[in-house]
Amino acid sequence: MASRLSSRILPLLRSTNAGQLTLSRTAASASVSEFDMQHKNPFAKKVIAIPKAEYGGRHSVTMLPGGGIGPELMNYVREVFRYAGVPVDFEECPIDPQSDGNEDLEYAITSIRRNGVGLKGNIETRSLSRGILSRNVALRNELDLFVNVIRCKSFPGVKSRYQDIDIMLIRQNTEGEYAMLEHESVPGVVESMKIVTAENSERVIRYAFEYAQKHGRKKVTTIHKANIMKLSDGLFLETSKRVAKHFPDIEHDSMIIDNCCMQLVSNPHQFDVMVMTNLYGTIVSNVLCGLIGGAGLISGRNYGDHYAVFEPGTRNTGTAIAGKNIANPVSMLNAAVDMLEHLGHQNHANIILQAIDKTINEDHIHTPDLGGQATSIDVVQSVVKHIQELTKDKNWSLN
Amino acid sequence: MCTDPAGHFGSMAALGKNFFNLVARGTLSLPSHHARCLHGSAPNENSIQAPVSKPKSRTKCTLIPGDGVGPELMYSMTEVFKAAGVPIDFEQFFFSEVNQLMSAPLEDVAASIRKNGICLKGILSTPDYSRTGELQTLNMKLRRELDLFANVVHVRSLPGVKSRHTNIDTVIIREQIEGEYSALEHETVKGVVECLKIVTQRNSARIAKFAFDYATKNNRKKVTAVHKANIMKLGDGLFLRSCQEIAKLYPKIKFESMIVDNCTMQMVSNPRQFDVCVMPNLYGNIVDNLAAGLVGGAGVVAGASYSSKCVVFEPGARHTFSEAVGKNVANPTAMLLCGTKMLNHVNLQYYGDMIRGAVDRVLKAGKVRTKDLGGQSTTNEFTFAIINNLK
Repeated sequence: MASRLSSRILPLLRSTNAGQLTLSRTAASASVSEFDMQHKNPFAKKVIAIPKAEYGGRHSVTMLPGGGIGPELMNYVREVFRYAGVPVDFEECPIDPQSDGNEDLEYAITSIRRNGVGLKGNIETRSLSRGILSRNVALRNELDLFVNVIRCKSFPGVKSRYQDIDIMLIRQNTEGEYAMLEHESVPGVVESMKIVTAENSERVIRYAFEYAQKHGRKKVTTIHKANIMKLSDGLFLETSKRVAKHFPDIEHDSMIIDNCCMQLVSNPHQFDVMVMTNLYGTIVSNVLCGLIGGAGLISGRNYGDHYAVFEPGTRNTGTAIAGKNIANPVSMLNAAVDMLEHLGHQNHANIILQAIDKTINEDHIHTPDLGGQATSIDVVQSVVKHIQELTKDKNWSLN
Repeated sequence: MCTDPAGHFGSMAALGKNFFNLVARGTLSLPSHHARCLHGSAPNENSIQAPVSKPKSRTKCTLIPGDGVGPELMYSMTEVFKAAGVPIDFEQFFFSEVNQLMSAPLEDVAASIRKNGICLKGILSTPDYSRTGELQTLNMKLRRELDLFANVVHVRSLPGVKSRHTNIDTVIIREQIEGEYSALEHETVKGVVECLKIVTQRNSARIAKFAFDYATKNNRKKVTAVHKANIMKLGDGLFLRSCQEIAKLYPKIKFESMIVDNCTMQMVSNPRQFDVCVMPNLYGNIVDNLAAGLVGGAGVVAGASYSSKCVVFEPGARHTFSEAVGKNVANPTAMLLCGTKMLNHVNLQYYGDMIRGAVDRVLKAGKVRTKDLGGQSTTNEFTFAIINNLK
């Protein structure tokens, strides 16, 4: 399937990459430059590994503060890292949201290539003109971060509709509806292409099953809409059924996205690991975050073969509450903890995680989004206080 | 500006004219990156107002006193650490090639460094002959064992130390597990000895990336690759090419290359042009010593060797100064600076800055100076002066 698709699109790609005007008839309706700018290769990219920036046990990590509340949250992360003695140095790459140029973004991507790991807020793309890519999507595509992983775990101290939810959400991150291939074929008719390839589907589904196996999960649910999109989502579903055969000890079932949303809000405990294509992933992750306490708690991880980028789970900039000292710092702190686990600083991660847990679940220091009265700084100060207590009589790096 | 109503118009007009002139001549650039600046500085206004991190927990560090005056310098450093209340515990190993009976086994030392991640090391003297016929020295074995591929020597003019040049601030980064130090020498026919210089793409790219990452982290602007690719077209050529490849990943850092002979001349005539230099093993060894000589000698320059997991801090120019053993004249500055670097590395900046400040104050005052800096004070007196200046 993939080879058939690629044989159809690849020649087209080559011609645009070479900057030639010999496009096939289908694409000629869109002007070349726009197509060229908009086009992103939806196929798996082969990237050459660059040695990682780890020297003497200290890591360099790219920090993309993004827009809205991003910069303040990043500052809290720095502050918490300082008190927890985390051996991580940040390389900050601010991206100017106003500019139409992509130099800042390109530099940021290069920086992640060098460091291997990034911590990111949500980057704004103000411009609505067609030539400008969504920067978040461009970043994921460029680095081939094909899987997005969100762990939705209830916080016992946060009032929410359901308790004891622990769902692993795994989402295809680079293709599907986010392929950014749109064009107006005749005036008044716009086509948006959803690309599903066997190769990328298999990578993400395999990741889901391997994750389930490694972490002792019992069930993987594929979320799809194959009853309508029989070919594209059908491919995704077929692939997951095929991969599931390699993992006989893990239960596999599938569910249609609309039903899935209903089940999520009525009986979320039936889910364990969920795997889905791009657009469904963004919907389901927001539903789940809403169920357990809003956008301010959950972190998300993006993995490719060589790079990893960590960010808050729901990708909102929070521009409305920027600078008011009421943004919830927990999601970004959780993203930072994920990052530490990825880098192998398990002890530092545990200390920060415990401090967050105590702040939210025992001290009940909650920002307004969780129904509390505390400011962002109150939360961070409490986390710092707990870190200091936890490390009173032992070294940071010793557990 | 506008308090005087009469002068209001005139001053405004003058200002406007001046401003226009400046812009027109291109001497004043308009703040086009205003948004970016705001972005970078905004978060600082709501930072956490808690005291600077001063943990009560203790950190372990491996300590190798080394040969020559090493043990005396280490004693001086531990005294300063004690007086400053630094929460570091040392795991001491006597490690030596010239005193083999007392030396701890390499495996034990390496295991300790691996466990702690940090080590303070004096200089090991290397005998000119090999008793067993083995060509690798103990230093080389330790580096290979721990994969300490990068050596960093920060050559910086110190306040109060008189030297030919002032305001030198150069970082010399040296590849140190391959190149001429491969310890592969043999006599093919009688009277003909071959020494193999090994250059690999992997290690060259790794050291180049280290140099650029160091430059990025420390806000440096330029990296200079030092080589001799005009003669060793393949070996040094590979090194140079690897550097050029890696440089492409760092568009904001300027990249230059320089031939090693020219580099040494430039270093003594105009050292301020260098920012970060990266070079293969033997050139690094030579340039390290040359540069150390520019700022006051082996007694005042600190260095560090990095692998991906651990760091060994040792003086930048490797001399044991064995003729001064027991004479109480050696300069402990290099060792103290190594100590402060080590403290900064393990997030104990508070103590690092305290000792650093004391060293700077004592050197700047210039009342207590050891012989190598033109004074008459002993090692002990210098150490006490540092302790008295801890704040």
